[in-house]
Amino acid sequence: MLADIPILSLITFSPLIGILVLLLLPKQNSRWLKVTAVTATLIPLALSLWLYADFDGTLGGKPYKESVTWVNAALNKETMPDIASYLFKFQYQMGIDGISLPLLLLTTIVAVMAALASVHVKKRWKAFYLWFLLLEIGMLGVFMARDVFLFFIFFELTLIPMFFLIGIWGFGGREKAANRFLIYNGIGSALMLLAFVMLVMTAGFRVDQVDQQTQHVYYSGSYEVIKDNLTDPDSFVNAAPESPLHMSDTMRWSIFILLLIAFGIKLPIFPFHTWMLRVHAEAHPAIVMIHSGVLLKMGAYGLLRFGVFLFPSQMRDWATVLAILGVINILYGAVLAFRQKEFKLVLAYSSISHMGIVLLGIASLNEIGLQGAMIQLVSHGLISALLFLIVGSLQERTGTTELGELGGLARSLPFMSGILLTAGMASLGLPGLSGFIGEFLSLLGLFDSMRVLTAVAVLGVILTAVYVLRSVLAITFGPMPERFGALRDARLVEAVPMIALLAFIILIGVYPSVLTEPMKHGFDALLQQLNVKVGG
Amino acid sequence: METVFTQYAWLIPLFPLAAFILLTSFGRSFKGLGVMVGSAASLASLVLALLVLFERMGEGVEDYQDGFKWLDLSTIQLNIGFEVTNLSALMLVIVTIVSLLVNVYSAGYMKSDERITVFYGYIALFTFSMLGLVLADNMLALYIFWELVGVCSFLLVGFWYQKPEARAAAKKAFIVTRIGDAGLLIAILLLFWYMPNHALDFVNIQNVFNEQTGTIAAGITTLIALLIFVGAVGKSGQFPLHVWLPDAMEGPTPISALIHAATMVAAGVYLVARTFDIFQASQAAMDVVAYVGAFTAIFAATIGVAQNDIKRILAFSTVSQLGYMMMALGLGSLTGGIFHLFTHAFFKALLFLGAGSVIHAVHTQNIHEMGGLGSRMRITAWTFGIGALALSGIPPLSGFWSKDAILNTALHENPVLFGVGVVAAFFTAFYMSRLFFLVFAGRPKGEKQAHDSSWTMTLPLIILAVLAVVTGFVETPWNNTLGTWLSGGTETTHTGGGLVMVISAAVGVLGIYLGWLMYVKGTIARDAVSSRMPWLLRLLERKYYIDELYQVVFVRGLRGLGLLLQAMDDFIIDGIVRCVGGAAVLLGRGGTRLQNGQVQTYGVITLLGLVILIVAIAGRRFW
Repeated sequence: MLADIPILSLITFSPLIGILVLLLLPKQNSRWLKVTAVTATLIPLALSLWLYADFDGTLGGKPYKESVTWVNAALNKETMPDIASYLFKFQYQMGIDGISLPLLLLTTIVAVMAALASVHVKKRWKAFYLWFLLLEIGMLGVFMARDVFLFFIFFELTLIPMFFLIGIWGFGGREKAANRFLIYNGIGSALMLLAFVMLVMTAGFRVDQVDQQTQHVYYSGSYEVIKDNLTDPDSFVNAAPESPLHMSDTMRWSIFILLLIAFGIKLPIFPFHTWMLRVHAEAHPAIVMIHSGVLLKMGAYGLLRFGVFLFPSQMRDWATVLAILGVINILYGAVLAFRQKEFKLVLAYSSISHMGIVLLGIASLNEIGLQGAMIQLVSHGLISALLFLIVGSLQERTGTTELGELGGLARSLPFMSGILLTAGMASLGLPGLSGFIGEFLSLLGLFDSMRVLTAVAVLGVILTAVYVLRSVLAITFGPMPERFGALRDARLVEAVPMIALLAFIILIGVYPSVLTEPMKHGFDALLQQLNVKVGG
Repeated sequence: METVFTQYAWLIPLFPLAAFILLTSFGRSFKGLGVMVGSAASLASLVLALLVLFERMGEGVEDYQDGFKWLDLSTIQLNIGFEVTNLSALMLVIVTIVSLLVNVYSAGYMKSDERITVFYGYIALFTFSMLGLVLADNMLALYIFWELVGVCSFLLVGFWYQKPEARAAAKKAFIVTRIGDAGLLIAILLLFWYMPNHALDFVNIQNVFNEQTGTIAAGITTLIALLIFVGAVGKSGQFPLHVWLPDAMEGPTPISALIHAATMVAAGVYLVARTFDIFQASQAAMDVVAYVGAFTAIFAATIGVAQNDIKRILAFSTVSQLGYMMMALGLGSLTGGIFHLFTHAFFKALLFLGAGSVIHAVHTQNIHEMGGLGSRMRITAWTFGIGALALSGIPPLSGFWSKDAILNTALHENPVLFGVGVVAAFFTAFYMSRLFFLVFAGRPKGEKQAHDSSWTMTLPLIILAVLAVVTGFVETPWNNTLGTWLSGGTETTHTGGGLVMVISAAVGVLGIYLGWLMYVKGTIARDAVSSRMPWLLRLLERKYYIDELYQVVFVRGLRGLGLLLQAMDDFIIDGIVRCVGGAAVLLGRGGTRLQNGQVQTYGVITLLGLVILIVAIAGRRFW
């Protein structure tokens, strides 16, 4: 029955309800603003859980497809007099599959938790939550848009709210961090837009034959049209090089590399990572939950959706490059995380390290590794959200997250310290928690094709333990400074999201099938294609 | 034969798991809950484990395996399940007995600690993980529990988290064992991709490697075996990854008995035994195991001679005895290794709990500050003495029989290693007699009126002392029960006859006699060696400077690398970014300057443009 309603659009735009209510509330009434915002984030969560329950892995997302023609720009048809129409078609097209669904759930879950974590926000609550909900719309849309331009719009929709959220509600260096964020992501978006335009003007071409006489010719931004054209060996872009519509290898490689850089900045891939360090350190912890928990995942998602699915053979040729980048990310991030004196920067470099694992999973180009990369995305999203949730609560109490100034907090904050320790364990890949599954499957997948690189990556497993324990134990173990004696442990509003996130982390760790079942057939077509190409 | 209890063996780990969940959720509100819940869960596990063990003693009992699909991808699936074999049934009983006794003991030992329920929660979690490890039917499941016992060990070593030493020791324990785990992880990856049908379960591994069909190339077999062994080296404190185990003594003493003597540290030995077919398929791997084990045995025994902390002496003794077990396995004697694991679990747990009882009474761990405790703590002294004799290999106590089994094998297979084993046995006897006499003999020191503790602490000592006496009799020259039962009758120990027994008992007696001469009688001065060769004493006291070496090479190395990369990140990578950003700003400023509204500027620019155009066009003409 879910298929009968436009559930995807409902999920995406449901935060609008919250926005409308917020607009009506007076801006001094922080209590009601907070309640409204949290309630507003619960709606997409409920809807996406409903969708998850309804989702059938074998069908994929077919029942839920939504498509409305949005812009039909007429092109100059004089050159081709014998066709009925010659258009540029831009559609509002939404879809979901095994790859989108886990990330959609991640987004809705993290959004609720971040909204709860925003209780520590001290000023301009109304503006904060308005931007926050707008940001959520953008994130949800990114994972479900099935038209490249619609995707682009949603992608950009996340940038602007994020810019303000960092720049207004962050710490000391917030404005600089926000500028960095905008410039860097702006460059990424520009490259992405260029790639998309190139895609549409080559692989977006389509001819609909209505009958013998009537032909509709158009350029479409539809993901499916582009994907069919690129991956169908009989399509015109794959025709002989003499054909005018043939898509050259140079063109394919150019688009592929543009996409790789555009999404590589977001992921981030070394050496494009410096912008996100500032964001981690300067933005409000609730915002970093979103940033580290969801926004980084958009980079990986884009890389999968556009890089891997549209250009499988380019991907295969560059699998080693990607794996090497992944290993660099892992080791580089881990070594630098070990050095940091500020806990937030430890976590920032740790994110770089963990995103390296995602790259490994993608580079494996087999089902095990790709599933591993997906699980790693969700898992890292949950874990880093939890870690920054704790960071927020710690900062609120101690006024600092410098490792040198903290210590022995297990005494005055036993509950939060326990959660922090468990989150650290999840981060270093302890079995029974979600981090292990993603890490293990990614390594297992990559090991098939690249033994030595995988073995080097396993070194990261050791280094992760080193930096996680170093920083977490510096906070919770050891002698406690006097001034922390009177701290109060987590309040209910803090404990609830902590327990909820931890519950998800444990659930995935103990019973990973909750994630792998819906994803099960998400990679079938791709793998088939890779195999065909390998065989042929 | 129909089995009744074996198919419910999966319940054994679940009792402690339930206890852990219960204690973690409600422990804070109910202080007294820990002892009751923890002990009850261990007792339930012990009862079921014993039932399973008895069932397996019958004739012709098949191994029992069951499991479920854990992770189902469309191309492969990973399972989690349990398997009951004679070996795992034996291990179940060892773990549950020691766990129960430590639970009871801790009621007294940890009585005044305000976090006692947390402590019991951790012990329950450990017991669950250790039992899961033992029951695991495949490598992946084993690895999962392998990591979980590691984290429990970490939590318990760091239980007194406010002490900086405990924090450092916990960190070290986790990280050093993780180096081993990385090896084990790669071994699993290799197995997954080389085994037919990606099978990771022990039954298939056994079949594939046993048949010598060459399904898996010899080089890969050796590599897999060695990587598994790296995991075992980390967990079982073998050289060169032994450094964490002595430091782990920062944890509460009952933990040292349970985790760092009887069960978890033996997991490495168990792992090698469980995958013994892989090792047997590669002589090179077997040799590595044997030599590393033998080296560790003598290396740690010599360090034990020069330590002054009662728990550290026992810790090095554990390292050394684990080396014995590894050596036995490497020489091909599964029975010898497991037999020693079995007896060692009881007498070493006994020694640790006895040490705990002493520490509880005198509040110091330095053996030179103790003395004359024998008359005041009679139960502790007697039981500790029994444990020390068992460890020293004095007949007819359990340690004698298991050590004899190992030395027998060594004599057969490799006389050099036999010699190493005998010398190590001598050192063992010597450091134990030194320890015993310094603590329990002589004149009392300190003003405190030391005395035996309550029954919760002495009862476990008595039970373990009985076990330390009797467990050796399962495998004697006249009674080959254990060997036949474990290896299906293909392996016999004690074939060397009386000679090995005489030598082994003689070096034990000699070591003790020497200790008596030095520390009781005083015929030989205590500093007889150290006064002549002070460097030797220092070398042993400093544990051959291995920790210092690691500190310089690895810790400093990592710091240096971090410094280097940080500089690169700050100056080069971020520098380029700043340059690009700066260039954009400059470009913008340049543009702004151009549009400043001054007609003169515009005129100059126009003229300049015109000239360039003309030159360009003219140039093209004449090209």
